Amino acid sequence: MPRPDEPSRRSFLRSALLAAAGMAGSGSLLGAERLLAAPAGPEDPEVPNEEVARILREISGGKPIRRGHLTLDMPLVAEDGRIVPVIIESDLPMTADQYVKAVHLVVDHNPDAHLAAFQLTPAIGSVSISTRIKMKRTTWVRAIAATSTGDVWAAYARVQVTLNGCG
Amino acid sequence: MNPTIGEARIRVPERVTRGEVIVVNAIISHPMNTGFFRDADGQPIPAYFIRDVVVTYGGQEIARFTWTSGVSRDPIVSFTLKADREAPLAMVWTDNKGGVYKQSADIRFASA
Repeated sequence: MPRPDEPSRRSFLRSALLAAAGMAGSGSLLGAERLLAAPAGPEDPEVPNEEVARILREISGGKPIRRGHLTLDMPLVAEDGRIVPVIIESDLPMTADQYVKAVHLVVDHNPDAHLAAFQLTPAIGSVSISTRIKMKRTTWVRAIAATSTGDVWAAYARVQVTLNGCG
Repeated sequence: MNPTIGEARIRVPERVTRGEVIVVNAIISHPMNTGFFRDADGQPIPAYFIRDVVVTYGGQEIARFTWTSGVSRDPIVSFTLKADREAPLAMVWTDNKGGVYKQSADIRFASA
Protein backbone atom coordinates (compact mmCIF):
# COMPACT_ATOMS: atom_id res chain seq x y z
CA MET A 1 0.00 0.00 0.00
CA PRO A 2 2.55 2.61 -0.99
CA ARG A 3 1.03 6.07 -0.80
CA PRO A 4 3.64 8.79 -1.00
CA ASP A 5 1.21 11.68 -0.52
CA GLU A 6 3.25 13.66 1.91
CA PRO A 7 4.42 17.06 0.73
CA SER A 8 5.38 18.58 4.06
CA ARG A 9 7.30 15.69 5.57
CA ARG A 10 10.73 17.20 5.18
CA SER A 11 9.79 20.60 6.55
CA PHE A 12 8.03 18.92 9.44
CA LEU A 13 11.05 16.71 10.07
CA ARG A 14 13.24 19.78 10.17
CA SER A 15 11.02 21.59 12.68
CA ALA A 16 10.73 18.42 14.77
CA LEU A 17 14.50 18.20 14.88
CA LEU A 18 14.78 21.79 16.00
CA ALA A 19 12.26 21.04 18.71
CA ALA A 20 14.22 17.96 19.74
CA ALA A 21 17.44 19.95 19.86
CA GLY A 22 15.74 22.48 22.12
CA MET A 23 14.51 19.68 24.32
CA ALA A 24 17.97 18.19 24.73
CA GLY A 25 18.94 21.34 26.57
CA SER A 26 16.05 20.97 28.98
CA GLY A 27 17.03 17.49 30.07
CA SER A 28 16.61 14.73 27.49
CA LEU A 29 18.46 11.63 28.65
CA LEU A 30 19.44 10.79 25.11
CA GLY A 31 21.44 13.92 24.37
CA ALA A 32 24.22 13.66 21.86
CA GLU A 33 24.15 9.89 21.34
CA ARG A 34 21.22 10.39 18.97
CA LEU A 35 21.96 10.29 15.26
CA LEU A 36 19.43 10.97 12.60
CA ALA A 37 18.22 8.24 10.30
CA ALA A 38 17.69 9.34 6.72
CA PRO A 39 14.06 9.77 5.76
CA ALA A 40 12.69 6.57 4.28
CA GLY A 41 12.16 6.33 0.56
CA PRO A 42 8.81 6.84 -1.12
CA GLU A 43 7.90 3.19 -0.82
CA ASP A 44 6.55 1.80 2.41
CA PRO A 45 8.59 -1.13 3.73
CA GLU A 46 7.31 -4.51 2.67
CA VAL A 47 5.51 -6.53 5.33
CA PRO A 48 8.02 -9.35 5.90
CA ASN A 49 5.84 -12.09 7.40
CA GLU A 50 2.42 -13.10 8.70
CA GLU A 51 3.33 -12.13 12.28
CA VAL A 52 4.02 -8.50 11.33
CA ALA A 53 0.93 -8.50 9.08
CA ARG A 54 -1.18 -9.64 12.04
CA ILE A 55 0.30 -6.93 14.30
CA LEU A 56 -0.37 -4.23 11.71
CA ARG A 57 -3.97 -5.40 11.27
CA GLU A 58 -4.46 -5.37 15.03
CA ILE A 59 -3.03 -1.85 15.41
CA SER A 60 -4.85 -0.31 12.45
CA GLY A 61 -8.17 -2.07 12.94
CA GLY A 62 -8.22 -2.55 9.19
CA LYS A 63 -7.87 1.19 8.43
CA PRO A 64 -5.23 2.21 5.86
CA ILE A 65 -1.85 2.98 7.41
CA ARG A 66 -0.65 6.23 5.85
CA ARG A 67 2.80 7.71 6.08
CA GLY A 68 2.91 11.17 7.66
CA HIS A 69 2.34 13.32 10.76
CA LEU A 70 4.87 11.23 12.62
CA THR A 71 8.67 11.19 12.75
CA LEU A 72 10.82 8.29 13.84
CA ASP A 73 14.39 9.28 14.64
CA MET A 74 16.80 6.35 14.93
CA PRO A 75 20.45 5.84 14.11
CA LEU A 76 21.20 4.69 10.56
CA VAL A 77 23.67 2.24 12.05
CA ALA A 78 23.30 0.75 15.52
CA GLU A 79 26.65 -0.59 16.65
CA ASP A 80 25.17 -2.24 19.72
CA GLY A 81 21.78 -3.85 19.15
CA ARG A 82 21.19 -3.93 22.90
CA ILE A 83 20.80 -0.16 23.13
CA VAL A 84 19.24 1.59 20.15
CA PRO A 85 17.78 5.05 20.80
CA VAL A 86 14.32 5.86 19.47
CA ILE A 87 12.51 9.19 19.30
CA ILE A 88 8.93 9.39 18.07
CA GLU A 89 7.30 12.77 17.51
CA SER A 90 4.12 14.00 15.91
CA ASP A 91 2.46 17.26 14.86
CA LEU A 92 -0.99 15.77 15.44
CA PRO A 93 -3.20 17.68 17.91
CA MET A 94 -3.60 16.54 21.51
CA THR A 95 -6.92 18.15 22.41
CA ALA A 96 -9.98 16.71 24.14
CA ASP A 97 -11.84 16.05 20.88
CA GLN A 98 -8.88 15.09 18.68
CA TYR A 99 -5.81 13.26 19.94
CA VAL A 100 -3.40 10.40 19.45
CA LYS A 101 -4.75 7.44 21.42
CA ALA A 102 -1.73 5.20 21.00
CA VAL A 103 1.71 5.02 19.47
CA HIS A 104 3.06 1.58 18.61
CA LEU A 105 6.62 0.54 17.95
CA VAL A 106 7.11 -2.47 15.66
CA VAL A 107 10.52 -3.97 14.86
CA ASP A 108 10.05 -6.32 11.91
CA HIS A 109 12.64 -9.01 12.63
CA ASN A 110 12.71 -8.97 16.42
CA PRO A 111 11.49 -12.07 18.32
CA ASP A 112 8.73 -9.88 19.81
CA ALA A 113 7.98 -7.63 16.83
CA HIS A 114 5.33 -5.53 18.61
CA LEU A 115 7.96 -4.13 20.93
CA ALA A 116 6.03 -1.43 22.77
CA ALA A 117 2.72 0.42 22.87
CA PHE A 118 2.21 3.84 24.40
CA GLN A 119 -1.43 4.62 25.27
CA LEU A 120 -1.85 8.38 25.50
CA THR A 121 -4.39 11.04 26.51
CA PRO A 122 -4.62 14.79 25.72
CA ALA A 123 -3.10 15.50 29.18
CA ILE A 124 0.38 14.88 27.80
CA GLY A 125 0.04 17.90 25.50
CA SER A 126 2.07 16.55 22.57
CA VAL A 127 3.49 13.34 21.13
CA SER A 128 7.19 13.27 21.89
CA ILE A 129 8.33 9.92 23.21
CA SER A 130 11.83 8.58 23.51
CA THR A 131 13.26 5.33 24.78
CA ARG A 132 15.94 2.73 24.01
CA ILE A 133 15.28 -0.65 22.45
CA LYS A 134 16.97 -3.92 21.51
CA MET A 135 17.33 -5.01 17.90
CA LYS A 136 18.23 -8.49 16.68
CA ARG A 137 19.35 -7.58 13.20
CA THR A 138 19.16 -5.04 10.38
CA THR A 139 15.51 -4.35 9.67
CA TRP A 140 12.72 -1.82 9.36
CA VAL A 141 11.30 -0.16 12.43
CA ARG A 142 7.73 1.16 12.28
CA ALA A 143 6.18 3.83 14.47
CA ILE A 144 2.40 3.80 14.10
CA ALA A 145 -0.04 6.27 15.65
CA ALA A 146 -3.78 5.64 16.00
CA THR A 147 -5.89 8.75 16.54
CA SER A 148 -9.22 9.28 18.32
CA THR A 149 -10.76 10.10 14.96
CA GLY A 150 -9.80 6.69 13.56
CA ASP A 151 -6.83 7.67 11.43
CA VAL A 152 -3.61 5.65 11.40
CA TRP A 153 -0.30 7.37 10.65
CA ALA A 154 3.16 5.87 10.34
CA ALA A 155 6.85 6.62 10.02
CA TYR A 156 9.55 4.13 9.11
CA ALA A 157 13.28 3.83 9.63
CA ARG A 158 15.65 1.16 8.40
CA VAL A 159 18.35 0.54 10.99
CA GLN A 160 21.51 -1.40 10.29
CA VAL A 161 22.47 -3.55 13.28
CA THR A 162 26.04 -4.78 13.76
CA LEU A 163 25.76 -6.56 17.12
CA ASN A 164 22.66 -8.68 17.81
CA GLY A 165 20.95 -7.31 20.92
CA CYS A 166 18.37 -10.04 21.41
CA GLY A 167 20.39 -13.25 21.83
CA MET B 1 27.44 -3.72 40.70
CA ASN B 2 23.93 -2.90 39.64
CA PRO B 3 21.69 -0.72 41.74
CA THR B 4 18.65 -2.43 43.29
CA ILE B 5 16.06 -3.69 40.82
CA GLY B 6 13.17 -1.27 40.72
CA GLU B 7 15.11 1.80 41.79
CA ALA B 8 13.50 4.58 39.76
CA ARG B 9 13.99 8.26 39.12
CA ILE B 10 11.71 10.82 37.48
CA ARG B 11 13.10 14.14 36.34
CA VAL B 12 10.92 17.16 35.61
CA PRO B 13 11.94 20.81 35.19
CA GLU B 14 12.29 22.72 38.46
CA ARG B 15 10.61 25.86 37.20
CA VAL B 16 7.37 25.27 35.37
CA THR B 17 4.94 27.83 34.00
CA ARG B 18 1.25 27.00 34.24
CA GLY B 19 0.07 25.47 30.99
CA GLU B 20 3.57 24.73 29.72
CA VAL B 21 4.26 21.43 27.95
CA ILE B 22 7.23 20.00 29.83
CA VAL B 23 9.47 16.99 29.24
CA VAL B 24 9.41 14.17 31.78
CA ASN B 25 12.40 11.80 31.92
CA ALA B 26 12.11 8.52 33.78
CA ILE B 27 14.52 5.66 34.36
CA ILE B 28 14.17 2.43 36.30
CA SER B 29 16.78 -0.14 37.14
CA HIS B 30 15.73 -3.52 35.71
CA PRO B 31 17.56 -6.35 33.86
CA MET B 32 14.88 -6.68 31.12
CA ASN B 33 15.98 -10.27 30.39
CA THR B 34 14.56 -11.61 27.14
CA GLY B 35 14.69 -15.29 28.05
CA PHE B 36 16.89 -15.96 25.00
CA PHE B 37 20.27 -15.78 26.74
CA ARG B 38 22.17 -18.30 28.87
CA ASP B 39 24.36 -17.56 31.86
CA ALA B 40 28.07 -18.48 32.17
CA ASP B 41 27.11 -22.06 33.20
CA GLY B 42 24.88 -22.53 30.16
CA GLN B 43 21.67 -22.24 32.14
CA PRO B 44 18.88 -20.29 30.42
CA ILE B 45 18.19 -16.89 31.96
CA PRO B 46 14.41 -16.63 32.31
CA ALA B 47 12.49 -13.72 30.82
CA TYR B 48 12.25 -10.94 33.40
CA PHE B 49 11.05 -7.56 32.23
CA ILE B 50 8.81 -4.54 32.90
CA ARG B 51 5.61 -5.04 30.97
CA ASP B 52 3.34 -2.25 32.17
CA VAL B 53 3.93 1.39 33.10
CA VAL B 54 1.11 3.61 34.35
CA VAL B 55 1.52 7.38 34.52
CA THR B 56 -0.83 9.46 36.68
CA TYR B 57 -1.01 13.21 37.20
CA GLY B 58 -2.89 14.34 40.31
CA GLY B 59 -4.23 10.78 40.62
CA GLN B 60 -5.66 10.69 37.10
CA GLU B 61 -4.24 8.21 34.57
CA ILE B 62 -2.75 10.13 31.64
CA ALA B 63 -0.70 7.44 29.89
CA ARG B 64 -0.04 3.72 29.98
CA PHE B 65 2.84 1.93 28.31
CA THR B 66 2.93 -1.75 27.40
CA TRP B 67 6.44 -3.06 27.02
CA THR B 68 8.16 -6.31 26.10
CA SER B 69 11.67 -7.51 26.85
CA GLY B 70 12.66 -5.64 23.66
CA VAL B 71 13.03 -2.45 25.69
CA SER B 72 16.68 -2.04 26.73
CA ARG B 73 18.04 -2.90 30.18
CA ASP B 74 17.40 -0.16 32.78
CA PRO B 75 14.54 1.27 30.71
CA ILE B 76 14.37 4.97 30.11
CA VAL B 77 11.35 6.71 28.73
CA SER B 78 10.67 10.36 28.14
CA PHE B 79 7.37 11.96 27.24
CA THR B 80 5.66 15.31 27.58
CA LEU B 81 3.12 16.61 30.07
CA LYS B 82 0.84 19.62 29.86
CA ALA B 83 1.52 21.12 33.29
CA ASP B 84 -1.87 22.71 33.97
CA ARG B 85 -1.91 22.22 37.76
CA GLU B 86 0.42 21.71 40.71
CA ALA B 87 0.14 18.00 41.43
CA PRO B 88 2.32 14.92 41.74
CA LEU B 89 3.27 13.06 38.58
CA ALA B 90 3.46 9.40 39.58
CA MET B 91 4.61 6.32 37.71
CA VAL B 92 4.09 2.65 38.53
CA TRP B 93 6.18 0.03 36.73
CA THR B 94 5.04 -3.63 36.90
CA ASP B 95 7.20 -6.55 35.77
CA ASN B 96 6.23 -10.02 34.53
CA LYS B 97 7.03 -11.57 37.92
CA GLY B 98 4.63 -9.28 39.76
CA GLY B 99 7.23 -6.77 40.97
CA VAL B 100 5.65 -3.32 41.38
CA TYR B 101 7.81 -0.22 41.58
CA LYS B 102 6.67 3.36 42.21
CA GLN B 103 8.14 6.81 41.96
CA SER B 104 6.74 10.34 41.77
CA ALA B 105 7.81 13.92 41.17
CA ASP B 106 5.97 17.10 42.13
CA ILE B 107 4.98 19.55 39.43
CA ARG B 108 5.34 23.03 40.96
CA PHE B 109 4.87 26.39 39.30
CA ALA B 110 7.55 29.03 39.53
CA SER B 111 6.45 31.83 41.85
CA ALA B 112 6.10 35.05 39.89
